[in-house]
Amino acid sequence: MKRTVVLGAAALLLIASAVYTFGDIARPKTTPTPQAGKIIFHTGLQIVPDAKAYEARLQISEATLQRLREATANTSSANQSMTQRLMQSSTRTMVAGMFMFLAISFAGVWFARSSQRRSQKAVAAMVMVVGMLGAATVIVRANAGPPGYVYWQNLPQNLTKGKDTRGGLDIEIVSGDDNIKLIVPMKTTKKPGEE
Amino acid sequence: MERAANISLAAWSDARPGDRTRASAKAFAAMVVASVCLSAALASWLPLQVSIVTVFLFAGPHNWFELRYFLMRLPARFGRSRNFFAVAFAGIFLLTIAYLSLPALYYANVWSGSNWPTAIATWNTLLLLWIGTLVMLRGKQNSRRDWSWALPVVFGLCAVNWLAPELFSLAIVYAHPLVALWFLDRHLRRTRPQWLSTYRRCLLLLPLLIAGMLWQLGRTSSLADDNGLFWRITQHAGADLLPNVSSHMLVSVHVFLEMLHYAVWIIALPLIGATGAVWSVKTIPLARRRSGFPKLIAAVLIVSVFVVAMLWLGFSVNYAATRDLYFAVAIAHVLAEAPFLLRMI
Repeated sequence: MKRTVVLGAAALLLIASAVYTFGDIARPKTTPTPQAGKIIFHTGLQIVPDAKAYEARLQISEATLQRLREATANTSSANQSMTQRLMQSSTRTMVAGMFMFLAISFAGVWFARSSQRRSQKAVAAMVMVVGMLGAATVIVRANAGPPGYVYWQNLPQNLTKGKDTRGGLDIEIVSGDDNIKLIVPMKTTKKPGEE
Repeated sequence: MERAANISLAAWSDARPGDRTRASAKAFAAMVVASVCLSAALASWLPLQVSIVTVFLFAGPHNWFELRYFLMRLPARFGRSRNFFAVAFAGIFLLTIAYLSLPALYYANVWSGSNWPTAIATWNTLLLLWIGTLVMLRGKQNSRRDWSWALPVVFGLCAVNWLAPELFSLAIVYAHPLVALWFLDRHLRRTRPQWLSTYRRCLLLLPLLIAGMLWQLGRTSSLADDNGLFWRITQHAGADLLPNVSSHMLVSVHVFLEMLHYAVWIIALPLIGATGAVWSVKTIPLARRRSGFPKLIAAVLIVSVFVVAMLWLGFSVNYAATRDLYFAVAIAHVLAEAPFLLRMI
């Protein structure tokens, strides 16, 4: 046990020294880039061709409007995704990584040292639980449905035929004062030789 | 005739204790189920109002009962547990001081708000390492125990904490009330083993009720936190960290768990005799032993009663400020639960 603790402390010291070494490297100059848009929530969109209409209309239900209001009200830093939060704090990410390293290392040491039957049962139970969670994740992901662009793939044909098309939609807030823009995902399938 | 009477009486005398046990277990189960369901209903119906009333009435007394309980569980001589208690008390003291100094340093402009998650993550890490040390020390006291698994678990939790420190702190807020249920389980095992299986079956109701509350209240609109007090209550339940979740649901679940916590410390544990006779210091080992401190222990308990009364007075004068002060200082009792629970395992 003492050896494990000493080894752990040595590893910790080594990692800490690496942090200080990297701390001396000058920060790269950041080039100004246009601010990326932020997706505030996901909803659905139906495009309906109407031969009698003179003006395009964007119909939003009262419930969706309410959700839109709430989402725009909550566009503070608290509403950022986990990835966005982590990207803002490299120190926290490094410390988390160091603790993950320690956790996995000590778990390995414990696994190797555990010769008692009961411990092995516990390990087997843990592996089973992790396996079940993994399987459940695969099942859930497998049930997620096809990607969004598949629904929009038939939009041109449907518009020509006068049929409606329904698919998912992300509401994105972008900088500037341009008009409302609808970006429809279209995967172009070019034949060989076509430009 | 005489012999027949004797046989009959003998049969009755054998049957009575079993019947009494079964009847008492049923009464206990009925009480637990009724209290849990009533708490869930009240917390779901009027979360903010019930939160204000329960904290006002029970926050102070439940701390008094916890203090009384911890004094009773404190051995007269530490013996082999000297290191364990030294680490426990040092941790409680230093972590409480550090926790109280965090907002003080923030308001003194020692650091900016952007460093707040790092400060919280550091405190949480110290807490986890302290608990890990206590687990290791406790595991060493019995050669049959192998609690070395605690180290990877603690380091894993530290990693999760650094990824989302504020959410980790929120998880502690929700997990702390459940610790009381664990204390009750350990005491029932010692004092009322015949109630233990009934109690554990009743506990199965808890996830069902919470799932029901999440399902029913998840679709409700958020609570109007337009005044300072309501805002504090919703923030305490995590409304700021989980903006897309109904604050009604968050506050209800938190209040429900808090009510269970108070019920265990104020009603359940004293009823099963876990805290001893409330006004008698003779059940406290530090007061009972020959060279003990009965007067000091009695003085501590009496002063604590005055502190509870002061807390009620503070709530009456300025509820919001007293609530803030209470939840900051109350971290000490949250920390104290860890070593005493480990001693019970």
